[in-house]
Amino acid sequence: MIADTQNFKPFNPDPIAVLSQSGDWIAPFALTLDDETLKTIYKHMLAARLLDERFIKLQRSGKMSFVAPHSGHEAPQVAAAHAISKGTDWLFPYYRDYAMTLALGQSVLEILAQTTGSRLDTAKARQMPMHPGSKTLNIFTGASAIASHIPPAVGTAISMKIRETGQAVLTSFGDGATSEGDFHAAINYAGAKGAPIVFLCENNRLAISVDFNKQTGSETIAIKAKAYGMPGYLVDGMDVLACYYVLKECVENARAGLGPSLVEAQVMRFGAHSSADDDTVYRSKEELELMRQRDPILRMRRFLEKQGLWSDKAEEKFIKETQLAFQTALDTLAEAEKVPLEWMFDDVYAELLPHLAQQKKEFLG
Amino acid sequence: MQTIVQTVARTLAEEMRRDDRVVVMGEDVGKRGGVFLATEGLFDQFGPDRVMDTPLSEAAIIGAAVGMAVHGLRPVAEIQFADYIFPGFDQLVSQAAKLRYRSGGIFHAPMVVRMPAGGGVKGGHHHSQNPESHFIHTPGLKVVYPSTPTDIKGLLKTAIRDEDPVIFMEPKRLYRAIKEDVPEDIEFTIPLGQAKVLRQGTDLVLISYGGSMAETSKAAEELAKQQISAELIDLRSLMPWDKETVLKSVARLGRVVLVSESPHTLNFMSEVSATICEEILDSLLAPPIRVTGFDTPYPYAQDREYLPGPNRILRAVQKVLEY
Ligand SMILES: Cc1ncc(C[n+]2csc(CCOP(=O)(O)OP(=O)(O)O)c2C)c(N)n1
Repeated sequence: MIADTQNFKPFNPDPIAVLSQSGDWIAPFALTLDDETLKTIYKHMLAARLLDERFIKLQRSGKMSFVAPHSGHEAPQVAAAHAISKGTDWLFPYYRDYAMTLALGQSVLEILAQTTGSRLDTAKARQMPMHPGSKTLNIFTGASAIASHIPPAVGTAISMKIRETGQAVLTSFGDGATSEGDFHAAINYAGAKGAPIVFLCENNRLAISVDFNKQTGSETIAIKAKAYGMPGYLVDGMDVLACYYVLKECVENARAGLGPSLVEAQVMRFGAHSSADDDTVYRSKEELELMRQRDPILRMRRFLEKQGLWSDKAEEKFIKETQLAFQTALDTLAEAEKVPLEWMFDDVYAELLPHLAQQKKEFLG
Repeated sequence: MQTIVQTVARTLAEEMRRDDRVVVMGEDVGKRGGVFLATEGLFDQFGPDRVMDTPLSEAAIIGAAVGMAVHGLRPVAEIQFADYIFPGFDQLVSQAAKLRYRSGGIFHAPMVVRMPAGGGVKGGHHHSQNPESHFIHTPGLKVVYPSTPTDIKGLLKTAIRDEDPVIFMEPKRLYRAIKEDVPEDIEFTIPLGQAKVLRQGTDLVLISYGGSMAETSKAAEELAKQQISAELIDLRSLMPWDKETVLKSVARLGRVVLVSESPHTLNFMSEVSATICEEILDSLLAPPIRVTGFDTPYPYAQDREYLPGPNRILRAVQKVLEY
């Protein structure tokens, strides 16, 4: 079903923006968020940027084995966390989504415990860094296999519909992920079922080194929605408030029984694909320089400053507090004991099957 | 002197120069040269029609390779990590593996699917797996898993020239760990199904393949220091595999330890062990023992402990010697 929503028409040719580069409100509708929420959104983006920088430092000093930087992706990620209902709706994110989980309320300790493979990781240090998950926040624990989380996301949404729980799902992925069969299988099923789900594509026009034009012949990801029988919206992914308003409307529509939507947020990947990548092989410094001028954090900051909601002093204070929170978490982690070797054998099945019990015994023997 | 990963790139270049039907395809294999640099330099030498960055879809990669192969090309597809074969598994099992059989031989798909495999790189379960048993258990696929630059060259050439789909597994933790001189001859090939005896021994046989060859060789050296003489065999090919060489050595010494890092149950070494027991039980002085990964998903925190390391191999050796 393709229903017109309040503020936005689907299949818009130009990306939706509500803030100009200089931080002026340019939308045809009125701003409805209160000052505190606006500041919180900004703080979440800034904290996420600082977290990304900390990740990179931790990786370089050997405390993290891997990092996939999210700088440049903060706007749709933070917006998504604010658009859904925390602890009620479900999130099926991908590996680059730490601004999303942080903004949803995942603690710095929990995040760093996972990314440093600590004993304090709620997932028992089972995965490499960049695989968040949380039972209390309904964050479906990630798998590295691209797009493999999208069919389960649709299944959860269908269950919400069958059980009439009034919840919604938001799932996110990169542009590369839309080439996988899993993406098509899932979004097609969601369309057929009218499932309460929002598909968020964080399109940075790169899949590691592979350019968007090699990924698809389609002009945008958003227009693919038409064929799946749902609205598709193209959003300026460097404009956090545009991302927020579009996602919020899609989530509300999902909850109201109007079915799924696809949102394409046009973002930019400021870093290399990951700590294992060298992006200078396939893109130029100049290209990156231009991208950084469109930093989503700067745009939101200009907006807040014009509203008299933010200042250099506030910025300085917040950075200090955030760094301190990181350090406190890292200090706690430094005191944690090592991950027990025998944890290797748990959670393969509900119970320890006899052959595994034997392998465990021999191993510890 | 060259590493395994350099040898892959150089061998691909040689084969592409020799035969213009050979094309390379996969995620990031173009300008990036592959995430491990196994296709480094190919894009500049051969251009975008022969070195193709594909969309992020293993099903498209494997399925399209089948289509290219029946039409006359010789595709060499890269799957970025062996762990990511699964979205392409249907194309591999339903199309590539069965095409020759179901068409009564009128169509066939000469293609190679290369993939870095194996653990010990802090990659967790999606960057460490050894899915060879899935492939070997799929009639129609040939499977090799070499462990040295020279064997990589000889077997990759044979795989590219073979008339069937060949799964070419590369031990990623050894990608840059070993350097050796590799024969320069562009016609240097190694037949599929031929094991290599690396060390002659008199007390027992150690058999392995792929990444686990590193730990198994280490164990053999350790044993030598203890005056225990192990015969060391690298299987190199898993389908077909070299039964004759294995049975000959095991029949002579009567004791064997089989090492492979993939999970224990239905590990390829289970097949080797069963064959030994069925065919030369009379010459055995001890039951063959498998030293393998555990029957768990590949862990992250216990990345090294999961692998059958020298200590676990030595314990098994002690068992077969004291039996
Ligand atoms: C099934 C599968 N194939 C390949 C990979 C290796 N890989 C990891 S990230 C990536 C690129 C993903 O690009 P995109 O979906 O656009 O997201 P981005 O990283 O740009 O945010 C690839 C190919 C994988 N993780 N899973």
